[in-house]
Amino acid sequence: MAAGSVTAGPVTTGPVEASSVAPGRTRRAVLAATVASLPLLAVSGCKGVGALATPPGPAPDVALLRAAIAAEELMIARYDAVITSSASLAAGLRPLRAEHRLHLAGLRTRLIVPSGSAAAVTASPAPSASWPGAAAAGGMPAGPAAAISFLQAAERAAAAALLHQLIAVSPSLAQLMASVAASEATHVAALTAVGG
Amino acid sequence: MNVRRPATADVSAGHTALASNAHAPQARHDRDVHAAPATHADARQLAVAASARQLQPSTAAEISALQAALAAEHAAIYGYGVVGANLTGTALTAAKSDWIAHQVVRDSLEATLRSAGAQPVAAAAAYRLPQPVRSPAAAMSLAVTLEDRVTTAYLGLVAVASARIRTFGARQVMAAALRAAAWRGRTVAFPGFPAGALSSPDADHGQRQPG
Repeated sequence: MAAGSVTAGPVTTGPVEASSVAPGRTRRAVLAATVASLPLLAVSGCKGVGALATPPGPAPDVALLRAAIAAEELMIARYDAVITSSASLAAGLRPLRAEHRLHLAGLRTRLIVPSGSAAAVTASPAPSASWPGAAAAGGMPAGPAAAISFLQAAERAAAAALLHQLIAVSPSLAQLMASVAASEATHVAALTAVGG
Repeated sequence: MNVRRPATADVSAGHTALASNAHAPQARHDRDVHAAPATHADARQLAVAASARQLQPSTAAEISALQAALAAEHAAIYGYGVVGANLTGTALTAAKSDWIAHQVVRDSLEATLRSAGAQPVAAAAAYRLPQPVRSPAAAMSLAVTLEDRVTTAYLGLVAVASARIRTFGARQVMAAALRAAAWRGRTVAFPGFPAGALSSPDADHGQRQPG
């Protein structure tokens, strides 16, 4: 970064200096020019970088998008748990889980994380950190009927959360969230059929 | 079966009641004739139509999106006439119920547009069907197509600025997706999105992973 700014100095002032400067003086002239222009470059350089690389506004889209992504991860984990524990339901649940994986993939494509941002690091761990204690350890209901009810409640809650969130995001993300919410609403009915 | 044609003259009054009542019989009807989800009562609570009359569209984009939704409802209402003519029994009951649901929302959209000072787009005298319908299977397939198009139209409402209209649109997306899933006999990952717009949902849907 700093090196780039320094070498940029002679280039911008070059056309004026270069023709009138003897080879022997070049070094001093360049040095002087560089020193003189450093503060300027520092200012204009920062301004230029800022204008080119303004990070996409982090709120509220990104925060809500992260919440939606976390919700899908959680939903997939719940299906994983039920599919693992209930052989009778597994075949019926896998297509629904596959749709949640598509939801997750679709939502993730909307998330643009500037490299090196602190938020990028904390994106994924949050849901998995809060998850295992809740379900794997004993929150998971026993028996197929209870498992179906559990998943239905989760689908309903996820759809309702998306309906709420989509008010505050960009139009295109709102459409994706509405579609995902609708898919989850259809899962509630589909789960009834899976439960038999 | 006590499904009857709603009084379409009842445009100005009692829309909220009409909208919520319309879902009660719908939630009860049984569509297992085409291997559809058995009950929709729970999910439909999420999708209960908010009255469109409180939407108060104010911009040209909002009016235009509402007109597009209304046009899709007109087409669906026409199409369900064809659907119903090719069905019997519980499937016919389902078609009538969905037909009424579309008429209720149409009335609501028309009232909304009028109260915003806009002339609601009129229904066409007839609509070209995507495929000839001469069997129950073709009728159900048409119903899926109709609902998919309505779903897409309501996704247009979700893109406007007004939070009220967005919410209304999202609930209608949900309601249409529920009807589509019932006719289709399965769910899809992205209702209302053109197939292939997002990582080919259909390709992955039927995938049965071993184990």
